[in-house]
Amino acid sequence: MALSHFFKHLSFASSNGFCTLSRSFIHPSLTSLFKNINGKTQPSIPTKISHPLSHCYTSASEPASSTLLSPYLSVRIQCRKDIADMFSEALMCFGATSTTVDEDDNCDTSNEICIESIFPESEDVDVCISQAADSVGLKEKPSYEVETGEHYDWIKKTQESFDPVEVSEGLWIVPEWKTPPDAEATNIILNPGLAFGTGEHPTTRLCLLLLRRLIKGGEYFLDYGTGSGILAIAVLKFGASLSVGIDIDPLAITSARHNAALNDIDPEKLQLRLVSGNTSSPSIDEHKDVRKQTSCEMVVESEHARYDVIVANILLNPLLELADDIVSHAKPGAPIGLSGILSEQIPCIINRYSPLLDNISVTEMDDWACLSGTKKLTGN
Amino acid sequence: MSTLKEILTRRPVAATIRLTVPAGGARPAPPVGPALGQYRLNLMAFCKDFNARTQKYKPDTPMSVTITAFKDNTFEFTVKSPSVTWYLKKAAGIESGSSRPGHVIATTLSVRHIYEIAKIKQSDPYCQYMSLESISKSIIGTANTMGIKVVKDLD
Repeated sequence: MALSHFFKHLSFASSNGFCTLSRSFIHPSLTSLFKNINGKTQPSIPTKISHPLSHCYTSASEPASSTLLSPYLSVRIQCRKDIADMFSEALMCFGATSTTVDEDDNCDTSNEICIESIFPESEDVDVCISQAADSVGLKEKPSYEVETGEHYDWIKKTQESFDPVEVSEGLWIVPEWKTPPDAEATNIILNPGLAFGTGEHPTTRLCLLLLRRLIKGGEYFLDYGTGSGILAIAVLKFGASLSVGIDIDPLAITSARHNAALNDIDPEKLQLRLVSGNTSSPSIDEHKDVRKQTSCEMVVESEHARYDVIVANILLNPLLELADDIVSHAKPGAPIGLSGILSEQIPCIINRYSPLLDNISVTEMDDWACLSGTKKLTGN
Repeated sequence: MSTLKEILTRRPVAATIRLTVPAGGARPAPPVGPALGQYRLNLMAFCKDFNARTQKYKPDTPMSVTITAFKDNTFEFTVKSPSVTWYLKKAAGIESGSSRPGHVIATTLSVRHIYEIAKIKQSDPYCQYMSLESISKSIIGTANTMGIKVVKDLD
């Protein structure tokens, strides 16, 4: 599949030692040198990656690919240290999507500092910088250089930072390109891509610990908001008989499918579905249009009350709005886990779910919380 | 102010990143992706954290967030409420301020609007010790630079 091809290329490129190159050339006076090297060592890789990239993403979702993978402009601006802060704020007002100021200890002698700013491709960088310089009071326009950034740069970099992590005794989450430190333990191999769920976040851990207690073997499990599919896969490894993962983000479904394949899981045991989010945010409309073009499965939610365990690790607002929907999928008396909430948001969730669940208990880790309860036996 | 212990254990800072992200809408895509990816920060952790903390704002309100990335690939961030100019434009229902502030008036707002905006701004980290009156005065000042006139009562 084109997507796995894309990931293999990334791991190949990083293992080539390119990442060590990027680390050693951070010194500002050499960054221009680095950029030249960047341009030279990379010519083959962009051409290889860009084709599978555009192929797999355009087939998955048109609108998402236009924002996600369109090249952006990365501009390095030199300006005086003392006005750097104000200048970055001004840049943001005039059209930059982000500004980054490097803290450099080696730069003490010069009073110049580098601001790196990212602009959308259509933006007129020159106009924006002159307006920003004017508003701050600079007499002359600062010198700058523009570069078009491609997305595999930062995608690759974030993926490099994952290490195997031990969630609890005997349960490890291992990135695809590393070897499991303990071959005997339950190892979940992941390539999170751009979906949520690497195993490091407290909410993922809380959910995994909860599921470890709940799954005895042979259950039907629903992962509401599956992200990278980590919970759905973990549950199958703990012994459940069927796992269904649903999400409103097509990238999540693709990522979860990929991870299921990495862990040698039968497509019948782990079913993944893209559903329409018919709650507030405007981006959901893109997904609705996209679904007509995709080859992902589209299922109208018509299964009610057939799951033994449900976990929803999303965010406060969706949990509040979709409460009835989430609970309706569970059999009466079935345990339901909710996470993705901050400790301060617990009372709100308890309020919303107490008419629907019994035996509500809360576990917390760092600032995050996980709520679990069992569906009421009477009612729907 | 920082304690001595905090200063001694302070991690070396790699960079300060400023972004504008819609509330509840942080995704690994640009603008978040390239800016944070460069410093190998855990994108998903930031998105989840940011989205969870901005749940109480209306979706898609542009929040300004400042992220401090440390050299060991960890990060901290503070979220600030949208700028006063954004609130003023929203309250007045206009797209942009007047082209000649001071000479041409774009629209008018009542003191009640200013008071409401000042209440929201008071929960911002740097405004907490200012009295509501002084926050309102500064908002009126900003309104003047945009060509928005403030009257006691809108009729």
